[in-house]
Amino acid sequence: MTKEHKTIDPITLQVIRGSIETIAEEMAHVLFRMSFSSIIRESEDLGAGLFDTDFNTLCESESTPMHIGSIPGYLAGIQNTLDDGEWYEGDVVVHNHPYHGASHTPDLAIVIPIFYEGDLVGYSGNTAHHIDIGAATPGLIIDVPDVYAEGMLFAGTKLYRKGARNETLWNFIRNNSRAARQLVDDIEAQIASARLGEKRFQELLDRYGKDLVFGACNQLMDYSEKMLRQRIAAIPNGEYRSEAWLDDDGRNRGQHLSVKVCVRVIGDRIEVDLTGSAPQTPTAYNVPFEGSTKVAAFAAFRKLLLDTATSDTRVPSNQGSFRPIEVIAPKGSIFNPEAPTSAEARFTQCNMMIDLIMKAMAPVLPDEIIAGSSASISFASYAGVRPNGEYWVFLEVNEGAYGGRPNSDGPDSIDNLMANTRNNPLEDLAMHIPMICERYELREDVSPGAGKYRGGIGVVKSQRILTDGIITHESERHSNVPWGIFGGKDGAAGKCEIYNARTNDPAREMHSKFHGLEVKKDDVMAYYSPCGGGFGSPLERDPQKVLDDVLDGFCSVEQAHAVYGVVLDLEAETVNVSATEARREQMDAAIQGTA
Amino acid sequence: MARIGVDVGGTNTDLVLECSKGTFFHKVPSTPADQSIATVEGIEQICGMAGIEKMDIEVISHGTTIATNITIEHNGAEVGFITSKGFRDILHIGRHKRPHNFSLHFDVPWQSRPLAKRRNRFAVTERIRPPSGEIEVPLNEGEVRAACTTFKKRGINSVAIGFMFSFLNDSHERRARDIVLEEMPDAYVSISSEVANVIREYERFSTAAMNAFVGPQSSMYLRNLEAKVKSAGIPAKLRVIQSNGGISTIEGCARKPVGILMSGPAGGVIGALSEARLAGAENILTVDIGGTSADISTIASGRFRIKNPRDTVVSGHAVMAPMIDLETIGAGGGSIAYLDMAGGFNVGPRSAGSEPGPACYNRGGTEPTVTDAQVVLGRMDADKFLGGDLPLDPELSIKAIKKRIADPLGVSVTEAALGIIKVVNNNMSLTIRSNSVARGYDPRDFSLMAFGGAGPFHGAALAELVAARDVLVPLAPGITAAMGLLGTDLQYEHTRSVITNLFAADQKAIDKVNATASELKAMGRELLDGDEIDEADQSFEAIAEIRYHGQGFELRVPMPRDGLSLDNKAEVIDAFHKQHIADYGYSFDDSLVELYTVRVIATANVRHLELEPLFKGGPDDVKDAFMYERETIFDDGSVRMTPRLDRGKLGAGTRVQGPAVIIQHNSTTLVPPDYTAEILNYGSMRLVKA
Repeated sequence: MTKEHKTIDPITLQVIRGSIETIAEEMAHVLFRMSFSSIIRESEDLGAGLFDTDFNTLCESESTPMHIGSIPGYLAGIQNTLDDGEWYEGDVVVHNHPYHGASHTPDLAIVIPIFYEGDLVGYSGNTAHHIDIGAATPGLIIDVPDVYAEGMLFAGTKLYRKGARNETLWNFIRNNSRAARQLVDDIEAQIASARLGEKRFQELLDRYGKDLVFGACNQLMDYSEKMLRQRIAAIPNGEYRSEAWLDDDGRNRGQHLSVKVCVRVIGDRIEVDLTGSAPQTPTAYNVPFEGSTKVAAFAAFRKLLLDTATSDTRVPSNQGSFRPIEVIAPKGSIFNPEAPTSAEARFTQCNMMIDLIMKAMAPVLPDEIIAGSSASISFASYAGVRPNGEYWVFLEVNEGAYGGRPNSDGPDSIDNLMANTRNNPLEDLAMHIPMICERYELREDVSPGAGKYRGGIGVVKSQRILTDGIITHESERHSNVPWGIFGGKDGAAGKCEIYNARTNDPAREMHSKFHGLEVKKDDVMAYYSPCGGGFGSPLERDPQKVLDDVLDGFCSVEQAHAVYGVVLDLEAETVNVSATEARREQMDAAIQGTA
Repeated sequence: MARIGVDVGGTNTDLVLECSKGTFFHKVPSTPADQSIATVEGIEQICGMAGIEKMDIEVISHGTTIATNITIEHNGAEVGFITSKGFRDILHIGRHKRPHNFSLHFDVPWQSRPLAKRRNRFAVTERIRPPSGEIEVPLNEGEVRAACTTFKKRGINSVAIGFMFSFLNDSHERRARDIVLEEMPDAYVSISSEVANVIREYERFSTAAMNAFVGPQSSMYLRNLEAKVKSAGIPAKLRVIQSNGGISTIEGCARKPVGILMSGPAGGVIGALSEARLAGAENILTVDIGGTSADISTIASGRFRIKNPRDTVVSGHAVMAPMIDLETIGAGGGSIAYLDMAGGFNVGPRSAGSEPGPACYNRGGTEPTVTDAQVVLGRMDADKFLGGDLPLDPELSIKAIKKRIADPLGVSVTEAALGIIKVVNNNMSLTIRSNSVARGYDPRDFSLMAFGGAGPFHGAALAELVAARDVLVPLAPGITAAMGLLGTDLQYEHTRSVITNLFAADQKAIDKVNATASELKAMGRELLDGDEIDEADQSFEAIAEIRYHGQGFELRVPMPRDGLSLDNKAEVIDAFHKQHIADYGYSFDDSLVELYTVRVIATANVRHLELEPLFKGGPDDVKDAFMYERETIFDDGSVRMTPRLDRGKLGAGTRVQGPAVIIQHNSTTLVPPDYTAEILNYGSMRLVKA
């Protein structure tokens, strides 16, 4: 790789940028179009890209943010563990070891070295979530003793060596998964995707030459870095803090886990210091530092400072945007666990960290931050055994909702912060798996946080299982309610119930995380995601929007009156303007009086 | 035989007539209150120009932006939506994926601009059981009637019905439709199993809701047009171009307007493709700039691209209908320039259309548009617009720009006009890039083809912004889309799911596949016979859409000529493995291979538009073409005395040195000072920077 480079003209730069971004998208496209398990083909829980020999991300597909930025950690881990100690042309490596840079064990990386004119010049790689790698229980895990309960661990393991397939290893994999066929075929899809990336990148090198291509890549990374540094430099130096807690670790009920965030702005760089957060837990509820904690912190500032919806120029997705941010988490803490602790269930901690970064930055970035979001995830695995003795396993990611924003309501029923998957079509599910969805709607049992701009509304999803089976559910925020900000009201906590569709037994109230729960035929798990907090005073909300919310069932007439000070004529479906003005003046006066 | 292509845009209605006397072009202003008025007038006028009788016209091919504009402006029908109990919010939730990964302030179009508001979505009791499709809970008809009561109270007259698993059993959707029509006899009703009979509830419901959203206005428009053409004494068959480049009947389009969401732009891409062939160009960036919007597409190696139906999104909403891969943005001659509340300088997407039109039209428009900027800059001669048929008032352009832009910003009217052009060009260039560079094409290998009435004003500037090789201006840039309407084949597509495990398929299963293909072929043949297409000119292509069992996406493999058989099914399986390798670089040789859908494309091999070569240019062409000269302001702000040339007098091979303004009836080409324009053999023009 050439470090020294002269400035490349903007047209060529733009062309090479378009080319590598297209390669990443094409890699992702092949992966999800070809794959068999719904978590990849429908949910697109994957990432793909190209990397240089220093493990810099040159480009990444626009898939799910948790994958974006995680592959450099895998590459560094592979470097330390690689079979043969070196790369050969024709090698294909599989890697998922959380103490060697992986994001978490189910996200297998496939990496292919790219050779050009005999030299190793970079890597083509991707990560994808697999439904079962032989962990203690089918699909997901939470309450397990250590990392060895997570299933097969791969570290720099060659599936192909110099182009020759290691059949022994493939046999081993096939014999160690409850969903072997899908696992093996989806690994093949990952290999096809990585090979496409290798081929396309070599074609690009043929066309423009190695120096020009890598020169352009370096320039694009510098550009991304510069854009982010400029935005950081505009924030006043200082320490910005916030804290909250997580429900529990999935075993020790009622023991909240502290999360503390300190954002240190120092000139044009930022430190995210997680010191003071809970110690590592004895369960799988821990976050691998390289592959997940750092990735989440990088993503937080890309959202906050390089918002793609409001920026005129789109900053390329590459290593440059990671460089200005340093992440600190003491070893042995929930954000930097030490072996052999398990660290598979790591998503909700990452989302809470991001939500807290927004809250910490509120005093200095009031027009950029948003109120508290669901900042959770609902990750559920459902499994059972078919009459022929084979397992079926289904993984589902459920969405959350955003907090109210400076100029608009928080979006409802949508993947939150680090998550950005697609839901699995309910019809597709029922055609493949012995399950059926009973309900998938917006929550009406609670209200989102009131505000000038209200919080987003969470969903309720009720999945019924048609055979006896096992459910594991990783979720959060049953006790810590998404906060309102600048006068906005708090949102609503999440909840989860299990009941049987054929009996009248009362529903069981579930903890936010539970592991390996045995369920009966026709049991239904109903998940209610948290609703976002409000932004600004509800008395400043446009009365017409309040009317719309009442008509659409997002707000009751009573709440419109009591919280928003809006008086409605429901029969005529109009706002009583004068009564509303009077009511709001009265409420304002009451607030002034108490203040 | 005479054929007419009519392309109705927001601002102008373009016509092409092909008959034994040659090919004729014409353009008239659109009449948005009733588009059929301009269409019929235009047809009568162009027949007059050619000296033929209206009776001689056999086919009128129509391209329309009616449905597209409804989605852009989000002013379709208020839609009532009836769905299954427990699933009221499928349209609100969508696929729960954000449009942006790294953003906090993103918009969610399906939530902020819903096709059916939540208050108008009613979930009724019913249940179809998968995977068999049997009825588990019968439809509660009272709940459907109750929903209708609310619809009537709210003045809703367009209803979409989408039930879970209706792709397995459509009886509840059909029954609910009958009930709605009993309660609301005049309602426009769309049911998901008819509009898009495919698995995946959100996409199917969204397509049905979109049909309901654009349906009432679109069908009223099409039926009215058909009636007006008939009552004007024109016996021709009226056909509408669809988003995928094929054409269909009025009745079919009125029932299923989701198929014509990209009708207008599709004609433009096909027209550009045929012009590109004549100019010997293989790689084209097409930029079709009309009054309201610009359509941008990439033709690589002489082929336009069809979007995968799973990727087709219109104004942020999923629509499962095949369409040419193109992007539309709100940038055109009628785009309004305005300063927003924060002082931001915007051009479009709001458009003045042709009513009231740009300020200079003197039809009551007071807001400045891109056209007004061109007038102020001396590029568009007010007295020569549409060959002088529609004189413009430049004073009104100056007044509008001065009052709304120049004075508030404290700049001169000229500076403000240049700013309007700069902003609109930049908006378009970003979209061209995302449709080409961002897909791995190098624009330096491409010619930028600028057409649509306003296109050739912008061609040179856009080519520079995106670094295209050169600029091509078609023979009749203002009506390229209308010409495309005569360049497409009559085409009908029919599909049906017939899920068959190819490995295990016995004679019975194979017979079922073949019977399905035959039925689909018969359906296509009936339509072609109805169009009086000779049997010899009919052709049918049967396609098997196949996947490995468990995959989510199918690939296309041709069906064997004489149908599937026990003997040749291995060849089909093999062809699928090969296609999988071609697309993905890998095949799963031991996986089950599943035939999912049979598709039959019935095509009539109609004659395409044939142009005669242009007359050879002579040494005095440029002198002869000179009409007059005027001061013109170019993008760099320079003011040049610039000759106006009559394009009709420039023969093949002639070169024009810029600066020049080349005028023809339906369009004006701006040749900047450092550019040369060369007239090509079939009349298109190439602009190259010196």
